[in-house]
Amino acid sequence: MTAAASTTATKPARRGWAFLAPTILPGFGTAFGFTLAYLCLIVLIPLGHMALRAADVGWDRFWAITLAPRVLHAFYVSFGCALAAALINAVFGLVVAWVLVRYRFPGRRIIDAMVDLPFALPTSVAGIALTAIYAPNGWIGALAKAAGFKIAFTPLGIVIALVFVGMPFIVRTVEPVLQDLDAEVEEAAASLGATRWQTFTKVLLPTILPALITGVALAFARGVGEYGSVIFIAGNIPAVSEIVPLLIVARLEQYDYAGATVIATAMMGVSFLMLLGINFLQRWTRSRHAR
Amino acid sequence: MAIEIRNVEKTFGAFTALGGVSLDVRSGELLALLGPSGSGKTTLLRIIAGLDHADAGEVSFDGQDTRDRAARDRKVGFVFQHYALFRHMTVFDNVAFGLRVKKKAERPAEMDIRRRVDQLLTMVQLSHLASRYPSQLSGGQRQRVALARALAIEPKVLLLDEPFGALDAKVRKDLRKWLRHLHDDMHITSIFVTHDQEEALELADRVVVMNHGQIIQVGTPAEVYDHPADSFVFDFLGGVNRLNGVIEAGVARLDGKAVRVDGAVGADGPAVIYVRPHQVELGVAPADGVPDGKWSARVSSLHAAGPVARLELDLAGRALEAQLSRDRLSDLALEVGSWCTVDFRHARVFPAKS
Ligand SMILES: Nc1ncnc2c1ncn2[C@@H]1O[C@H](COP(=O)(O)OP(=O)(O)OP(=O)(O)O)[C@@H](O)[C@H]1O
Ligand SMILES: [Mg+2]
Repeated sequence: MTAAASTTATKPARRGWAFLAPTILPGFGTAFGFTLAYLCLIVLIPLGHMALRAADVGWDRFWAITLAPRVLHAFYVSFGCALAAALINAVFGLVVAWVLVRYRFPGRRIIDAMVDLPFALPTSVAGIALTAIYAPNGWIGALAKAAGFKIAFTPLGIVIALVFVGMPFIVRTVEPVLQDLDAEVEEAAASLGATRWQTFTKVLLPTILPALITGVALAFARGVGEYGSVIFIAGNIPAVSEIVPLLIVARLEQYDYAGATVIATAMMGVSFLMLLGINFLQRWTRSRHAR
Repeated sequence: MAIEIRNVEKTFGAFTALGGVSLDVRSGELLALLGPSGSGKTTLLRIIAGLDHADAGEVSFDGQDTRDRAARDRKVGFVFQHYALFRHMTVFDNVAFGLRVKKKAERPAEMDIRRRVDQLLTMVQLSHLASRYPSQLSGGQRQRVALARALAIEPKVLLLDEPFGALDAKVRKDLRKWLRHLHDDMHITSIFVTHDQEEALELADRVVVMNHGQIIQVGTPAEVYDHPADSFVFDFLGGVNRLNGVIEAGVARLDGKAVRVDGAVGADGPAVIYVRPHQVELGVAPADGVPDGKWSARVSSLHAAGPVARLELDLAGRALEAQLSRDRLSDLALEVGSWCTVDFRHARVFPAKS
């Protein structure tokens, strides 16, 4: 996934309205029709229907439900923890990817395989495993307790769970870019007088940045949508460690379908806006990159 | 700045990339490192730049040992074979890089950086492309950006690894001339790597011929061309006829006739006689046999485009290439199939490798 390739792909579209631009590839009509139908069926119709149902409750009630303190706090926890986890992963996932690409050491393959574990495990397994360790009677939890704070059953626990599930996204998106880095570029920087740190911040990081942002976006999206691992470690205390998906389930269990739908729609809206924002950020870094 | 290289060795695993290389680079000269692929040219250059470490031996700059000086403290401009430009930076920022990473105390003000970069870009004739990205440049333009970037730090030494390797013949020729002028203006001690003998001979003040991690010969282009140290150098400097003969009692003989050779003749036994095509002397074959001391050959093909004619001759079953001026060719009135006499103005003989 080189930036050069992706920008050349998007370039012609910028020239203008390319919808009916002549193309040498056959079957555009069929493929486009299929794409549209597929997206409608899988994404647009279910989500649109949900939004319509939410609209049924009326404008005032919609806002009353979403702006309730407990709901607002759940939003804050969901998005805040997902963002924190994605940013933590951006740093440490990058370090892991760096170590895996740059160094040859015994056990490298095992670590390499371990990175993918969060991908493969059912998230409830992750939840149980993490809770066992971070709960006040688990051995890391006990240390934290001795130091005077709690990990499990607080937003901190949620962040840890999201770091766990999000890590492979960063490592796996950054890894190929690191592998493609030309050693000569670093040597060029060194011979021009740059320190290791300057080489990293001025040469390497800008090259990795588009991939890193993609990884962060994926990890963030995954974190926002995460349910299984979080409900175990979060303890789900309202207005403390309750996430939006759990709130929706809680409303459903109380047969409050309208409330559940409204919160779900609000969640969808916020997620969409955030993904859009990340997309713009990506385009911006890419356009600064090799044009 | 003068560079002294003493007994530098470098091995990669069991493979010896440099086996005891010693060389003095004079201050301000333009030196060519010439050798076939894998002969250790890049390795030597990287050791001088501090990008690799020698296993043994030492490199000193103006008499100061460089062992403990990291690449970034050496003030060596390095132009990589594949340019290694920073592709997320514009041409301008690429060239400014070396100035912007200087320590605060030494860093010029942004305005001075601008002025200096503009100057460099004008010098490499790229000022109109300052805001482009490397991916938007041609190979020759990238090459010049890499050069300007290396020059920005006012290096004491400029190292160029096959600077024209990836360019087409025309651009190569232009850049070659341009680099020579640049060097004449700036007088930075420069070493460039090439495996193109024509480039080395045309451009350099002195040529270093390398093979298998060893320096075979050092000298001016004329010296190495006219007095090659051994058969390898003779061969590598291009365009040579190799004729199997013998050495008998200290005389080189080809088909029984004595060959006048330059330099030492060597021990008796099978030998190879080396003659450059333009040292082959052709003459009109007399009607009655062949004059003593000369050979006779038949023209098997003839290329007479340009100022120089190239002939392929058949000398008793051996292919022999000869070069002569078009005028001389018409004097001789040779054509394909005709006979002529052959003599050698200058030849060298080396014992045949078993
Ligand atoms: N990092 C390395 N690991 C192992 N072997 C290496 C390494 N670098 C170079 N070599 C070997 O050392 C020898 C000399 O390499 P070097 O790059 O100096 O050759 P060169 O003269 O520059 O050749 P070319 O003209 O093809 O660039 C080669 O045989 C090469 O395979
Ligand atoms: Mg090389």
